[in-house]
Amino acid sequence: MMRVKKCVLTAAAPAQRRLPLQMLIDRDGVERSVLAILLDEAARAGMEEIGVVICPGDADACAAVAGEHAARVRFIEQPEPRGYAHALACARPFVGNEPFLHMVGDHLFVSRDGAGCAARLVAAAEQEDCSISAVQPTREGQLAQFGAVGGQPVPGKPGLYRIDAVLEKPTPTEAEQKIFVPGLRAGHYLCFFGLHVFTPAVMDLVEQLLAREPGPCPISAALDELARSERYLALEMQDRRYDLGARYGLLHAQLALALAGKDRAEILASLVELLALQPGSGGRA
Amino acid sequence: MSRLAAIIASSDAEERNQPLDSLCEPLSPAELLAECDALEQFRQRSQNLYERVRALFFLYAIHRFHLPRRSGVPQEGRIPFSGYLHLLERRFEESIRELLAEQRQQGPNAALSSALAAAYRSLGFQTLADQVRRSVRSTRGNQWMFRTGHPYDAPLRIRRELLAEDPSTGLRPILRETTPVRMDFSHSAWSDIFFLGMDYPEGARVFNTSINLAVRGAGSGEPRPPVEASFRIIDEPLLRLVSVDLGATADIRHTSELFDFARDYLGLLKAAVIASGLVPPGMEASGLDLSDLLERLTGARGLGIELTSRVLDIPKGSRLAVSTSLLACLITACMRATGQVRRLEGGLEEDERRMVAARAILGEWLGGSGGGWQDSGGVWPGMKLIEGVPARPGDVEYGISRGCLLPRHRVFPLDEITAETRARLQQSLVLVHGGMAQDVGPVLEMVTEKYLLRLAAEWRARLEAGGILDEILACLKRGDIRGLGACTQRNFEGPIQTIIPWAGNHYTDLLIAEARRAFGPRFWGFWMLGGMAGGGMGFLLDPDAAAQGRDTLGQILLDVKRRLERGVPFAMDPVVYDFSINERGTWSELLRGAQALMPHGYYTLRGPSLLRRQARELTPAQRRELEVFAAAARTRPEWSGMAYALFERLLPSAQPGAASSRQALEELLAANGFDRVQHEKIRADLRSGRIGLAQNRLPVTTRIEDVREGDVADARSAAPPAFTRLGEEALASGALAIVTLAGGMGTRWTRGAGVVKALNPFVRLAGRWRNFLEIHLAKSRRTQRRLGAAPVHIITTSFMTHAPIEEWLRREENYGYAGPVVLSPGRSIGLRLVPMARDLRFAWEEMPQQVLDEQKQKVRESARAALIQWAISSGEGSDYTDNLPEQCVHPVGHWYEIPNLLLNGVLRRLLEERPQLRYLLLHNIDTLGAWADPALLGRHIDSGAAMTCEVTAREMDDRGGGLARVDGRLRLVEGLALPEERIEFELRYYNTNTMWISVDPLLAVFGLTRSDLDDAERTRDAVRRMAARMPAYVTLKDVKKRWGKGQEDVFPVSQYEKLWGDMTALPEWRCAYVAVERRRGQQLKEVAQLDGWLREGSAAWVEQLCDF
Repeated sequence: MMRVKKCVLTAAAPAQRRLPLQMLIDRDGVERSVLAILLDEAARAGMEEIGVVICPGDADACAAVAGEHAARVRFIEQPEPRGYAHALACARPFVGNEPFLHMVGDHLFVSRDGAGCAARLVAAAEQEDCSISAVQPTREGQLAQFGAVGGQPVPGKPGLYRIDAVLEKPTPTEAEQKIFVPGLRAGHYLCFFGLHVFTPAVMDLVEQLLAREPGPCPISAALDELARSERYLALEMQDRRYDLGARYGLLHAQLALALAGKDRAEILASLVELLALQPGSGGRA
Repeated sequence: MSRLAAIIASSDAEERNQPLDSLCEPLSPAELLAECDALEQFRQRSQNLYERVRALFFLYAIHRFHLPRRSGVPQEGRIPFSGYLHLLERRFEESIRELLAEQRQQGPNAALSSALAAAYRSLGFQTLADQVRRSVRSTRGNQWMFRTGHPYDAPLRIRRELLAEDPSTGLRPILRETTPVRMDFSHSAWSDIFFLGMDYPEGARVFNTSINLAVRGAGSGEPRPPVEASFRIIDEPLLRLVSVDLGATADIRHTSELFDFARDYLGLLKAAVIASGLVPPGMEASGLDLSDLLERLTGARGLGIELTSRVLDIPKGSRLAVSTSLLACLITACMRATGQVRRLEGGLEEDERRMVAARAILGEWLGGSGGGWQDSGGVWPGMKLIEGVPARPGDVEYGISRGCLLPRHRVFPLDEITAETRARLQQSLVLVHGGMAQDVGPVLEMVTEKYLLRLAAEWRARLEAGGILDEILACLKRGDIRGLGACTQRNFEGPIQTIIPWAGNHYTDLLIAEARRAFGPRFWGFWMLGGMAGGGMGFLLDPDAAAQGRDTLGQILLDVKRRLERGVPFAMDPVVYDFSINERGTWSELLRGAQALMPHGYYTLRGPSLLRRQARELTPAQRRELEVFAAAARTRPEWSGMAYALFERLLPSAQPGAASSRQALEELLAANGFDRVQHEKIRADLRSGRIGLAQNRLPVTTRIEDVREGDVADARSAAPPAFTRLGEEALASGALAIVTLAGGMGTRWTRGAGVVKALNPFVRLAGRWRNFLEIHLAKSRRTQRRLGAAPVHIITTSFMTHAPIEEWLRREENYGYAGPVVLSPGRSIGLRLVPMARDLRFAWEEMPQQVLDEQKQKVRESARAALIQWAISSGEGSDYTDNLPEQCVHPVGHWYEIPNLLLNGVLRRLLEERPQLRYLLLHNIDTLGAWADPALLGRHIDSGAAMTCEVTAREMDDRGGGLARVDGRLRLVEGLALPEERIEFELRYYNTNTMWISVDPLLAVFGLTRSDLDDAERTRDAVRRMAARMPAYVTLKDVKKRWGKGQEDVFPVSQYEKLWGDMTALPEWRCAYVAVERRRGQQLKEVAQLDGWLREGSAAWVEQLCDF
């Protein structure tokens, strides 16, 4: 059976290099960096070593906000901004020939039961003994933001799908034709959640992809290959992920964390107060 | 299960493909009715779409062609008005229920069968259209567009490359898509009609090639892809649509404007914007402003999209699917811009081409038009076989139709059809546009109907056409172009015209004969393109002859057109194309920097409005574009004449030809005795509301009832020998003259094209194309042969028809008719008026009328709203002068045509020459069954009546009044005069407008005697007095205005007319009424009637009346 011990966290996109350093109040009311929250997510999934892919020169700043799991972290510099697939490939020496958990550094994951999204995914990967990506049904109007997968439900295992195609930010036209998934609501597709467990074969495919594509590119094409070359599953998550790079992304994430934690009542009260203060709502200060 | 239902449901193809007609032939009326009951139950029960549709068409055919023609089935019956209203409102099931209930009460009869036939046929087509619509919507890749109703849900984004400004010029790039058109070698007997492809995928096969075009001699250079689209981002928050070739542009800010297809000439661009998903169809009726959507699409507030189309010199009606190709081209550009097509530049992948084709089908449906599934063939490269695909599990069509909506394309590589063969084809084929104006719509319906009924000869022809396609492929594979010509010629002469005789025409036959004469054995074959001949066509010549042959053929086309143009509707002069095979399909390039300019015509169209503005009012992008444009005009040779062209557009200039056209109109009016005083009175009355469509009607207090027993004599069974003898004696003595009314424009026949209906060669009888006039003369020749005396033939004409008819008869030497043929020129003319909005609303909103299929109805309503606006803005009740002079004037109704005989001296001269002349047989030009039947003449003489009017038992399509008791008095009443629509349905007899008139009583009712005719003044007074007693009806007519390259607009105009049937209201004028057979009284008003007229045997019956 597969045992996952390493995690690769990508945080090297030049436009998003400040995101891991952002401070948020976590579920427990403690102020922590985004990086620390993500490292905590990985650690709770049992990751013993965490490779963080960063822009050259960001190591010190990141190390400063890494928090309690700093000791498990190894910073891996992406020497030039050649895109997502290249960033992942930079971690190849770190993962060696082992399966690994992959998290994107611009997302925050909030599980409903507090058990951790990554932990759930890793458990499923270890049980199924194959690559697996966390996915979430997403409305077609948001397809432009995510990679998406097509496939069939695995009989007898609710929430698990056998992936047979992966498309990067498809148009709904393409999505309808190529990644139709039985059982989903009309106009919904399984989009990536930002969490994956990969077998080492993925690294080969990513390197082949980079050899073909000189410019920056996402990893979807490599994952599409993966789906055709070995068993590759998707796990439907009931939890939520927040894209920190989106407009108001940090605010959404902060609200989600706060409303899922111990300060829920306090935050709700201030929200209500804010709503009452809306111009034209008739409320008074 | 009944025999017919069993055939429909059979799994054995041979059993299923039996022709209905031979199955019905041996059945008695009772057995036919039993089959109808069984089919009715079968269609209600069946889950299978095509079983239901075929049962509907069987029911239609039994009621249309079999039951009413069986002896023992009465002709008269009553069609319930509410059943008719249901039919108009497209509530077909309700209509059928009501008509069947009525049939149980009245018993079967021809009247009810005619209504049932119409209802079953309409329901059949509606069911098919609904299915195609459902398939289009449920095609994967199209579905999401129908769910997206709000900008926040809009999932598409414009590609970043299109948003980035060029650092040197500041201009955003332009995406330029160019697309070839498709030219079909064979469509295997229209097998690409969706209904056919989806029911009979194994027979649905088309071979076509993508081609580039240039019009010979138009200075357009080498053949190029004929359609082109340009897409760019602009810095105004709106959607700008520009059609360079139609000279139209619109700034659209609201969804409601976008879904309004017919308000301008930009319907095709709108359909492309919607079908590409840029503004998805789910947003129709959302009432939304476009700015939010544009912001979401472009990612920035204040940005918009400009989409421009251009068709390079290719006239409408080319039969090369130019409009579908343009639609596909525009859709491809929009899909590239939004990432639905992967590559921004270059060609398409196969899955993308299929998606574009599916979207083009959607666009066609949105715009209310419809082509075949081969029509987006230009998106694919080179030569390809397109075949129907049987539906399999997993397809959305599976279990509903036998075939899928989208066909499969197989592109032939160069090792199968060599480059040399392709080059030789290009040398041999002379591609032309014959110039005829045509509507292919009815042809497609006829094909579908004949396929579903598996008519025997037509079904064999369909199978033969499939074989010819294989032969064509074999010829191409072995490089045999001569053999190809033989195949296309055989295809046209054989299967195509066996299935649809109307796919050919006199013009095309003459062209083929002339080409044969000019080129002899070097003429290899004729090639029909698309749905019918007369527009786009091909002639295959020996390559040695073809180079010069192009000019020779161009001249032949022009000569034949000149010879026929007064009898055949042409939209333009013929043209010859240069063409080349396009081996790459639709293609795109991104124009950047100084190259990022729109097509040439764009700047002459949009430039003046930009230049008239202050520089500060221009957006930064507009200023930069003008700078780049100015630099190009100064320095780049291909832009060199632009500055001058723009300057020309900026300066005011009179419309070319406007003054001479106005003068010609004045001359035409003066030459034909136009009464300006009366015209002004009519205008004043129309404007004040004293006359109008609503005022045509008799007062509501008028009592209008159906005829009573004994009011009408029945002449449908064998006549008493005494009548025949009496008639024969009169004919032999020269007592009869036949008066053929040929002064009208036949507006419904050609939808206002302004040709002479009498001269329109519309049917092949006795081996040749014949026109109406020739057929009438041939019937008189037969009378002459039988009785030894040739009746005088009087043809009444008008300003519009006189000269062409006179010339035609001279050229054809009266078609060999030995008797006297006299023209009676009209003496009255009216000037058409821009209609009152009130009358348009009355006609379109208050009168019951046929509602169209959903999307077509929307398009029609949009067009009508635009026409009401046109009437208001051009001035209601003002003179209609914005057209060719002969399209601005009108004859003033057939009442005047008899008085004209008195006024113009024709009758006086005839009576001098033939004092024995005592009777006139008056009939419309399109009543082809009317002939000098001695039995009817004898009956008229025997009755002693001044006039005997022929009537027929009313059927569904017989609209426009009938025979009635009006306040107790028996008379003909016009439909225009009926106070209520429903009254017409109570009147069982319809007026054929064929009348036997006694000459002396006619003179007497005018207060004249034979000798008074010498006194012109007295005659004129008499006519004027009578005219004053006749009601004048205001009517709306369609008139075509031609412009551009074969474009046609249809406008409604007001005119007035007086009708001869109103003479029956005169108390001193004794009339008799006689019921005649339908085939004698039937009038051919619309081209769409022809096929039924042929199939029901009426044409053959007319043919045996003739002696050509």
